[in-house]
Amino acid sequence: MLKYALRRLVYMIPILFGITLVTFLLFNVAGGNPAIVAAGRYATPEQIAMIKAQLGLDKPLFMQYLDFLRQIFTLDFGYSWFTKQKISTLFMDGVGPSLSITVPAFLISLAITIPLGLLLAFFRKSTLDRTILVIALAGISISSVVYVIAGQYVFSYKLGLFPISGWETGWDTRWEFAVLPIIILVVLTVGTDLLFYRTVFLEEIHQDYVRTARSKGLSNRTILWKHVLSNSLVPIITLVILEIPTLLTGTLLIESFFGIPGLGGLIYQSIENSDFPVIKAVTVMTAILYMVFQLLSDLLYAWVDPKIRLG
Amino acid sequence: MLKQRTLFAVLAFLSITFIASCTHKVQIDNSVNVELKGNVKGLDPVGASDLYSSFAMSVVYESLYQYNYLKRPLQLEPLLADGMPSVSKDGLTYTIKIKQGVKFADDAAFPNGKGRELVAQDFVYSWRRLADPATQSEGFWVFDGRIKGLNEWREEAAKGQAKYDAPIEGLETPDNYTLIIKLKKPYYQLMYQLASTYTSVVAHEVVEKYGKEFLNHSVGTGPYILKEWIRNSRLSFERNPNWRGEKYPSEGSPGDKEAGLLEDAGKAIPFADKVVFYELPEDQPRWLKFMKGDTDFVEIPKDNYDGAVKDKKVIPELAAKGVGLRADPDPDLVYIGINMMDPVLGKNTALRQAMAMAYDSDTYIQKFYNGRAINAQSIIPPGVDGYDPEYKNPYKANNVEKAKELLKKAGFPDGKGLPAFEYNCSSSATDRQIGEFFQQKMAAIGIKITIQQNSWSQFIERQKSKKVQIFGVAWGADYPDAENFLQLLYGPNESPGSNASNYHNKEYDKLYDDASKLPPGPARTAIYKKMRDISATELPIIPDANRVRFQLFHGWIKNFKPHLTILNSYKYMRVDMDKKKELKGKM
Repeated sequence: MLKYALRRLVYMIPILFGITLVTFLLFNVAGGNPAIVAAGRYATPEQIAMIKAQLGLDKPLFMQYLDFLRQIFTLDFGYSWFTKQKISTLFMDGVGPSLSITVPAFLISLAITIPLGLLLAFFRKSTLDRTILVIALAGISISSVVYVIAGQYVFSYKLGLFPISGWETGWDTRWEFAVLPIIILVVLTVGTDLLFYRTVFLEEIHQDYVRTARSKGLSNRTILWKHVLSNSLVPIITLVILEIPTLLTGTLLIESFFGIPGLGGLIYQSIENSDFPVIKAVTVMTAILYMVFQLLSDLLYAWVDPKIRLG
Repeated sequence: MLKQRTLFAVLAFLSITFIASCTHKVQIDNSVNVELKGNVKGLDPVGASDLYSSFAMSVVYESLYQYNYLKRPLQLEPLLADGMPSVSKDGLTYTIKIKQGVKFADDAAFPNGKGRELVAQDFVYSWRRLADPATQSEGFWVFDGRIKGLNEWREEAAKGQAKYDAPIEGLETPDNYTLIIKLKKPYYQLMYQLASTYTSVVAHEVVEKYGKEFLNHSVGTGPYILKEWIRNSRLSFERNPNWRGEKYPSEGSPGDKEAGLLEDAGKAIPFADKVVFYELPEDQPRWLKFMKGDTDFVEIPKDNYDGAVKDKKVIPELAAKGVGLRADPDPDLVYIGINMMDPVLGKNTALRQAMAMAYDSDTYIQKFYNGRAINAQSIIPPGVDGYDPEYKNPYKANNVEKAKELLKKAGFPDGKGLPAFEYNCSSSATDRQIGEFFQQKMAAIGIKITIQQNSWSQFIERQKSKKVQIFGVAWGADYPDAENFLQLLYGPNESPGSNASNYHNKEYDKLYDDASKLPPGPARTAIYKKMRDISATELPIIPDANRVRFQLFHGWIKNFKPHLTILNSYKYMRVDMDKKKELKGKM
């Protein structure tokens, strides 16, 4: 397994190289002239030329690309063109608030959807199954904006249970602001995840080994938790592991409405303002995270399912 | 087992909710709570290119002059300057005395952490930073080509390390309290620039200590100091104990006394212990925070207007809670720009006149601003020299038949032979709807319009690269002078400058040059009106609307008289604590 992991890590290098090249070409060649925007509303050609030089955009493309590679290897992405803030500071400031919302919501959602999916698969076509299925489908079909707007209006404004928006830096004080966004994020994700897990478990529940276990007189609890769940772990791991990088990038809508200073807002702001250094940093970091977690999920496959051989 | 776990999960969930709700306390303190519609980028005056950062900076940093808080039209008065400047007869030399005893706020950058006294040299240092290409300031335009030697210093700085000790002919400090500015040619807008955030004063020790992090360490001479900044969420400022003090104005405009705006005349400011800025880009939380009493005033979001205001008055339900309303015209212009470099649009005045004649600003204002704007008749908006409320633009009559006649005169009867034109706007849903409205009005006379939406930066870049045909934009005044709008059509300002229409008219440019040599007065205003008339006939832009800001404010906030150009207004606002306690209970 170690050999496999090392080989996969080596494979990542050309992939990462490809990603950096595509990202660089997209923004530096096809992305227009950011110095024009940075020069402001009274821009002059002289000022644009000066800003180009300040941003290093007057250098040959190859040199600019090398600068970009250096930033990746040193993890120092420099400064935002739009806010003039240090990109690593922007990330460090934003990652905590984002994770404060996404991680609890992710864990709560898992805690709800996996047992419930198992239960629904077991009681397939029962009234409980149909009712929850209808609720989940109806829930998914409603736009996420509705949940955010209605949640904030009812629970924060009308009932006064939570602050309308805001954030605190201390871990002990931020929960006041985090609870409602977490609840809303759980509601937003729970429907889709539940349907996914139910389908996964349904595929397993009709397998011959389940019938055999039943005929051997095993209890339903043992069949579900010990056999069905463990045999369904491969698709579950795929979904769970690959969702982890998205937790870091935050949730734009919720952050924006609840005044949470997370990475979702930062990413949106950088795209809207063509803040290429931030966009490039986010793109590369996200790609690296996806590759790492993809590898992790592959390694976990072999661990949970002895039939899978990594080679 | 399963039931027990489910029950446990539900109980845990409810507990967290309960704890959270219990900890949500209502605070009543002597603070002015301000909502910002966008995020603050940083607190370095050379980066004051956006309104939200400028609002936040206004409580910390100060410039030589400021606008009188109450007087309209706006009037300048000394802030850090000790009196108005002494100007030479040729208008080229300004001698400004600096107030003595003004101190920077305490900071670790100063010896023993104690803020030192402000000197005239600090202004020279601060303005060099504005000119230094390394700061990448968008604000150099305030001095660009105006002060003797400054552009030359900038060019030298662009070649390598800027020499902050090298002399600049046009910036002299014969002593610590005297600043002499020498101009290349008369520049009557200089006084406005000396009141802008860009020209605020900073201390070199602080800039040198924090380097690139200076924008997160604001240390100024203003009434407040930064206490806490949760980026993209909230900024809190508290009283600056070093502040020299200032008095609330004793004179105002007609109606101010009746509105209670002179009750605090002559009293020491600032009144509030704290100023807190909440960064809230979304309409709903901004509105709900105000309605809950967490913030003190709000610009009414479009979707909430009808539920809050009826017949230009606050609805009784809100009035009972002490909520007041102010409607203040902004010195701004929403307009449809036409790129005059386009071979069809640029060469056919009758075509542009037809487009203006077919357009319907009244419906546009109703539809997109709930009627909260004035149908703009010309390039000059209200609140600036040269604005005439009686003036009617002959091509803004919204007459489809006349528009068709003009189109025929242009050589395109019923639009036959005309290519489809591209209307550019930003990516928001509202801008799309505005584009569709324009499309519909042009279709009525046979002109086909396609809509191209862009991210904000792409939109700016397309304008500045002369890649747009027709575009929907707005221009807010940087200073209260019609020149700030008339320059939008001055030939030398063509893209990438502010003349995104790339309009060139020798007569117009000459008038602009002539006006720039004149001090404010009837002769200059007469020239402004001539330029207005040229632009109204030639129509390189179709004036659309001058927005009126409708703001609600709570009964506990006193001395609320907003103006888009007066950024440092928070020091004048007073919180009536008894009223706040009473009214907060009704929220």
